[in-house]
Amino acid sequence: MRIDGLWMVCDDGIVRPVVRGEVRAENGTWIEASLLIDTGADRTVLSADVLDLLGLSRETPAERLEGVGGRADSVIVSTTLRLRRETGAMVSFEGRLAAFTDPAALDMSVLGRDLINLFPLVVARPQDVVCLLGPGHRCLIVTE
Amino acid sequence: MTPNTFPFKITEISDAVTVAEAAAREERFLRNLAWLEAHASEVYSHRGKIVCIAGQELFVGDTAQEVVARAKAAHPDDDGRFTRIVPKERGPRIYAH
Repeated sequence: MRIDGLWMVCDDGIVRPVVRGEVRAENGTWIEASLLIDTGADRTVLSADVLDLLGLSRETPAERLEGVGGRADSVIVSTTLRLRRETGAMVSFEGRLAAFTDPAALDMSVLGRDLINLFPLVVARPQDVVCLLGPGHRCLIVTE
Repeated sequence: MTPNTFPFKITEISDAVTVAEAAAREERFLRNLAWLEAHASEVYSHRGKIVCIAGQELFVGDTAQEVVARAKAAHPDDDGRFTRIVPKERGPRIYAH
């Protein structure tokens, strides 16, 4: 299994590794969420614009999310995140996701280690590669 | 929060209808993304706003719901639309939330 991401040009001109995902809204539609691959993040977190579009009921988290910039208000939503694999099939992660309520807290949703740790991850800018690997695919480091 | 507090149920959906719908949506998304990259300086000049790209057109607003409502009205068939938060200021970022 391979889930391909891409290098995306952000507002500051910096190119960052992202995976395109879709999050299920209350009405059953799918909301696009580009997820920054953030190996420093303990948890996958949705940005406030995505949260706003989901229309899901919100739970108060037991603990607030804390980042380099300090703590910010967040909520928990029960939903499904889908990522598209190389065959076109969707890999679906059903569970509870954290989300920021303040747009200033996070400009882009992040894919954290709660999900990243499930896959070998390849992020290689010189080779223009961003991908999560699963059964049937592996990465190989060759000493030349 | 401690890691793995929220376990996920993982499944693979490979029925032909879902796969075809998702592929079509991704194609529309990539078209909108290409448009954004070609018009990045214009799109990202709206500091502190929420932007939506739909039908290879820019919509700007203060909330995601408002901006998507206008995008949907203009391009009802484009479900490859997406929103972005444009940070108030430019600068190097360390995420790690």
